[in-house]
Amino acid sequence: MSSHVGLMLVFSAFVSVVFAVLTTDDVDAQLRTGAILFAGFGGACILLGWLMFPFPL
Amino acid sequence: MYSVSVIKPGTRSHVGSGRLGLDSLVQRKSIIPGGMAGILVCVIAWAFPGAGHLWLGRVQKGTVFFIVLPLMYLIGLWLEGQIFSFDLSQPLVALAALADLGIGVPYLMTRFLGAGEGRVVAVTYEYGNTFLVAAGLLNFLVVLDAYDIALGRK
Repeated sequence: MSSHVGLMLVFSAFVSVVFAVLTTDDVDAQLRTGAILFAGFGGACILLGWLMFPFPL
Repeated sequence: MYSVSVIKPGTRSHVGSGRLGLDSLVQRKSIIPGGMAGILVCVIAWAFPGAGHLWLGRVQKGTVFFIVLPLMYLIGLWLEGQIFSFDLSQPLVALAALADLGIGVPYLMTRFLGAGEGRVVAVTYEYGNTFLVAAGLLNFLVVLDAYDIALGRK
């Protein structure tokens, strides 16, 4: 696997799970926190990607 | 004429504005007695990710860490990331080596088996390094969390 987006999403999933489990005790809160973190990571990366799109490599 | 007032836990004190909660009335005790307990938990939590939480009875958290962190580390190796060696002449490499060390026994096994050489020309080399470094750093956070639990702070 060498897809940048794919690896970014896998990395985001791992980090989200660890932070969610680390910061909350309740399972529901963990799922909610993990989903928010994962969406935040993914959304921020896509947004930054589009912001960089006009600039040359 | 004197009056006697009883201050119940959870009510405001007459002196100052501090709230008299159960925390201030009941001494918090550490889960594991003894001065070296916190250090022992840190060593175990560092060596085997999640083991500190499992030992302290936080089975759900410990199981998640026990699965996720080594898996993240293995993916880093699979992506041909490099286990950096301590080279103080290159401070950033030394910091990366310190972060790699955070995963504990998997790091030592990797060094012992001669794996983790990394392949700089591989497309996924930097991705692998990121996974390896992040796994170690996250385990440092897990160690700190286990330390707090052992001391009764959480």
